[in-house]
Amino acid sequence: MILGRVIGHVWAARRDARLQRAKLLVVRPHAIYEPAFGTRHLVATDDLDAGVGDDVIVCLGAPARESLGSNDMPVDAAVLGVVDRIEWRADAMQAPGAGPGIQRALGAIGDTK
Amino acid sequence: MIRGTVIGQVWATRKARGLDGQTLLLVAARDAEGRATGRLVVASDTLDARAGDDVTVAFGSGARIVLRPGAADNRDVLCDAAIAAIVEGAG
Repeated sequence: MILGRVIGHVWAARRDARLQRAKLLVVRPHAIYEPAFGTRHLVATDDLDAGVGDDVIVCLGAPARESLGSNDMPVDAAVLGVVDRIEWRADAMQAPGAGPGIQRALGAIGDTK
Repeated sequence: MIRGTVIGQVWATRKARGLDGQTLLLVAARDAEGRATGRLVVASDTLDARAGDDVTVAFGSGARIVLRPGAADNRDVLCDAAIAAIVEGAG
């Protein structure tokens, strides 16, 4: 899963029949979620009534489809949780692997907590 | 799988039913040489990993197997990343 912030909604009148009732959100990941993807945002389905400004947990791949009740869905990202609280080590900035991207992410999350 | 460092924990009251009871940890991913990748992963934890622990994270169907062994009937597990091992040493 990844952490991201909801920054908008997507409306689409013409959509796949299986997506007719799905709510679609634009989520900006707090850090890169997959080095192969250069994009800085993704579109995720939402059953939890998340709103703009919420930090959310987004699941990618098959579990995202399963969260909608079927694997036969044209979906690869779904909001599975609305974040209440995040705790991290004060020395996380120095932890191995906590590079500039992570520092930015933690800083961004800290903005609203 | 990737290696990473546990740097924190995430709590969510509003969540998908399938996520109930899962401990969600924040893991900063590292590359093969231990360098930062800038990638931040939320991983389910069944091994009681703590902040600062060096861990390996399994993705995709591997993550589902961590949470429920039996690849044939665990498609309904809502998880795409799970901590598979807490690393004590690596050569």
